[in-house]
Amino acid sequence: MDFFILSFAVTNGLLLGGIYGGVALGLSLIFGVLRVVNFAHGSFLMLSLYISFWLWSIFGLDPYLSALINIPAMFMLGFAVQALIISPLIKRESALVVEPLSALLLTAGIFLVLDNAALMAFGPDVRAVQTSYYMPSLMLGGIPVNSQRLIGAVAAVIVAAALSWWLRTSHLGRSIRATAQNRDAAAMSGINVPFVYAVTFGIGCGILGLFGALMSTFIPISPSIGLSFGIKSFIVVVLGGLGSIPGCIIGGIVIGVFEAVASQFVTATSAAIGSLALFVLILIFRPAGIMGRA
Amino acid sequence: MHRDRFYTKPGLWLATAFSMLSLGLAAPASAADPVKIGCALPLSGGSATVGNQTRVGAQIAVNQVNANGGIKALGGAPLEIVFADTQSKADVGVTETERLITRENVAVICGSFNSAVTFPATEVAERYKTPWIVVGAVKDEITERNFKYIFRINNKATFDAREQIDAMDLLGQESGKKPKTIAMLYEGSDWGRSHAGNVKKIAAERGYDIVVDEAAPPNQVDFSNQLLKIRAAAPDAIIVALYTPDHLLFTRQMMEQRLDAPFGIHSVGGGMEDPAFYKALPQAAVDYAFVQEDWQIDKIKTTQDPLMLDANKKMEEELGYGLSAYGAQGYSSVYVIADALERAGSADREKLRDAIAQTDIKDGPALITGYLGIKFDEQGQNTFANGVISQNLGGERRTIWPAQSRSADVKPVWPVPGWSER
Amino acid sequence: MNTKTIPLERKDVEKTTSLPLRPSSLVAVVVLGVLALVPALVSDSFFIHSLIMILFFAYMSTAWNFVCGYVGQLSLGHTMFSGAGGYCSVLLFTQLGVSPWIGMIFGGFLAAFLSVLIGLPTFRLKGPYFTLTMIACAEILRIWVENTNDFYGIPLKGAEGLVVPSMGDDVWAFQFTSKIPYFYIILIMLAVAIFATRLMERSKLGYCLKAIRGDRDAAEALGINPTRYTTLAFAISAFMTALGGSFYAQFFRYINPERNMGLELSIDMAVMSIIGGQGTVLGPLLGAAILVPIAEAARGTLGGSFLGLHLVIYGLALIACVLYFPKGVIHPLGRFFSRLFGLKETRG
Repeated sequence: MDFFILSFAVTNGLLLGGIYGGVALGLSLIFGVLRVVNFAHGSFLMLSLYISFWLWSIFGLDPYLSALINIPAMFMLGFAVQALIISPLIKRESALVVEPLSALLLTAGIFLVLDNAALMAFGPDVRAVQTSYYMPSLMLGGIPVNSQRLIGAVAAVIVAAALSWWLRTSHLGRSIRATAQNRDAAAMSGINVPFVYAVTFGIGCGILGLFGALMSTFIPISPSIGLSFGIKSFIVVVLGGLGSIPGCIIGGIVIGVFEAVASQFVTATSAAIGSLALFVLILIFRPAGIMGRA
Repeated sequence: MHRDRFYTKPGLWLATAFSMLSLGLAAPASAADPVKIGCALPLSGGSATVGNQTRVGAQIAVNQVNANGGIKALGGAPLEIVFADTQSKADVGVTETERLITRENVAVICGSFNSAVTFPATEVAERYKTPWIVVGAVKDEITERNFKYIFRINNKATFDAREQIDAMDLLGQESGKKPKTIAMLYEGSDWGRSHAGNVKKIAAERGYDIVVDEAAPPNQVDFSNQLLKIRAAAPDAIIVALYTPDHLLFTRQMMEQRLDAPFGIHSVGGGMEDPAFYKALPQAAVDYAFVQEDWQIDKIKTTQDPLMLDANKKMEEELGYGLSAYGAQGYSSVYVIADALERAGSADREKLRDAIAQTDIKDGPALITGYLGIKFDEQGQNTFANGVISQNLGGERRTIWPAQSRSADVKPVWPVPGWSER
Repeated sequence: MNTKTIPLERKDVEKTTSLPLRPSSLVAVVVLGVLALVPALVSDSFFIHSLIMILFFAYMSTAWNFVCGYVGQLSLGHTMFSGAGGYCSVLLFTQLGVSPWIGMIFGGFLAAFLSVLIGLPTFRLKGPYFTLTMIACAEILRIWVENTNDFYGIPLKGAEGLVVPSMGDDVWAFQFTSKIPYFYIILIMLAVAIFATRLMERSKLGYCLKAIRGDRDAAEALGINPTRYTTLAFAISAFMTALGGSFYAQFFRYINPERNMGLELSIDMAVMSIIGGQGTVLGPLLGAAILVPIAEAARGTLGGSFLGLHLVIYGLALIACVLYFPKGVIHPLGRFFSRLFGLKETRG
């Protein structure tokens, strides 16, 4: 394999992996704090892609600017979903045996509802934002680098860093971390646990709001786009360690580069099988992920 | 040309009068009962776009037939179409077929796009002796089982592949320049894989080299890896069989990465026959692309038929874009059924089956798809089925193959200019 | 009996619903008995077809419940077993002429082998980790089959799927032109699965599984080997699921990886069991009896006009069930009936 193609592959993998990592951040955060595996994660991304698309299509709003509306909208949606649908479950389960499985089922129900409600509301057609300006691909030593993707990947790293910093330093951030460590102890020391949960879920979805806006510039949007990213996000999060913020970005990059390089040697389908196998092996031999503490 | 007039209003009245006469004066009391047509389509799930366009096309045809006086041979009985959702699943398709036949009591069924659904579902119809007009499903074996009640208007999968290579050969003869190497990229399920298999076979016979052979795994969100592989292999032409979302992503990334193929992209429909596809891309991304589809894309521009023009308008009102290959196929299948009903003079399944078997349509709205005719062989395959290949020239998709359907003003661009020269 | 069936406190309810198995087996016998009479009373073939679909899903869900409902692990990869079983019996039939009756047993053993292979390393994974692993394993198998036309001379035919050639009425080939034989076959399969679940519940295996579900570490301290029992139950569950896959292949005479190894069928199995009542003998049957008709009715009346509405309803039902009937619909229903019968007893 010649060096040019290989470095091209690595570049592609880094860009895509960064974006995978960014999309998975919310999933990881929500799991880390609520212990809820959000099966509807991809569906929330799908919704935020549609928000940016419609803002562009109806009001002509630039997709990047639409983040200003998209992020708060997704935050509120996430907050509401947690406060109204998931929180009764968590409340009930604190009394009985904790069964994270019913949370998984609940979010699977949300996934079914959201994906098909989108199909009903928006129709099955694939749509895409066409930006009025044509962002040129940067040339990196002969390798064209798509600027929208580059922005997405860089944003992922920045958001991950900002999120970790905020969780460490701010009051609310510390409440979130305390709740993640021990829900009951946090409640006893005066933290409003249901509120913290709702905020966390809101933040998880708000991050998707940002990526929905960034990705709407280069990803075609259809009601079923969510599942593809949902499955990828699971792999990324498990790889990086469920609940670990930096692990998420690293997991994304590992999977992105792995698939990009592997698919130059074998077919893309074999590469996909390979990444799933990698996922299973990591779960078996290092369940805490690459970055997680065992 | 004069044949077209048969379908204008006076002609229809004449036909009504004639068929009334032929029935004698004994029009049965229940003659005006609607004739039920079942239509099984994927209306949710991955292929919902396709199913929905076919649904709208079929509904438009039904409305037209009813507006023009229904089925004359049945005393003006209106058509009633019952849609069923197969969800692209074999078991759901079979269950829905069962329901359409035994519960809804439909006289005939059309559908259902996915070969994996159509194959087992048509078997149910055969068992119940209910005629089925296959729409969209291309699996060869569907009309190779010695069934009596299954008819297919559209191409078999092998025809699609052969036509693509035929077009390359034709353009090669005309210009003296021919691609030598071909890359194939296709979706990893039934349709894409069987198409790729056929292309491989025919390409080898005609002396083309397949240098890249890649299936896209399910749920892919990026094509840079495959594009890079294609870049490394530097093929002359690329044959693509992808559904709309993947096709869109692929085409977009190909433009972004400025990947050149001197003899262009040859799509076998899927994404590139979906009007939503063109709404979602800048023109530059699809310039010079070749598309093989069961639908003559410039038909609406060349036809005078008021029904077809009306259908195109209705489609645009409903979905925001004009007729597509999918819409046209749904539309055509209803007219084939209406034609058979007129000749059978009965909604009885057995009589209808015989009438469909004797179908010989040479013009009219049933041929909106661009076929030269509709006539079934003993296996139920339309012997006149042919796809049409268009090239995207100056913002318009114009027919370039078969040569006899190509307008005089259409000059194919071959080889296609690279990204830097556009 | 009275003190048990008329619940006074919440605690009592928990106890009674898991203890009195006698009424539940009575219900099972009555339901299955009535079902067995249906073909004699109804000749409508769509009705029979719909019943077969309900029984098929009830069977698959019971097979799923056999291990997952009792161990408390959510497997969303059970199609791996049904797919492997179905492919095995079809290939044995088309390639070697082995009767599907025998082929499906081979398919069952293949699936059981597969389950041990996968279960041994993964069963100690907890909760979502296990679920995700199972999804990944099933996806690996599906993508592999979809892209493999020929495996050492075995024509898997990739994504195209396998067709069972029609033989007309041939008992040996597991093919019938009428739907009634299929109805009785799946009814018997379901009865056996329910009976097996009931037997398991009362056996050492059942008690051990219950102990493991309650507290794995405590069970281990008592000398129960969790891996051994869960793997055994997993293998039996896989075996039964594989038989279901073979039934599907014979009934539709067609099998393809997208449907028969896909995620959706796995979700169906799990959701029906969970809504009906996981870890109960009759829960899966009840779940299938509720959900399959809902899906069918919604599709029949709404499917053509509103794209995807029936799936929205399906999702809402799932959400409502998880929130309001976390132990499945069978529990409030069982309570209602036991109260009903309890009243009758006091009067009598």
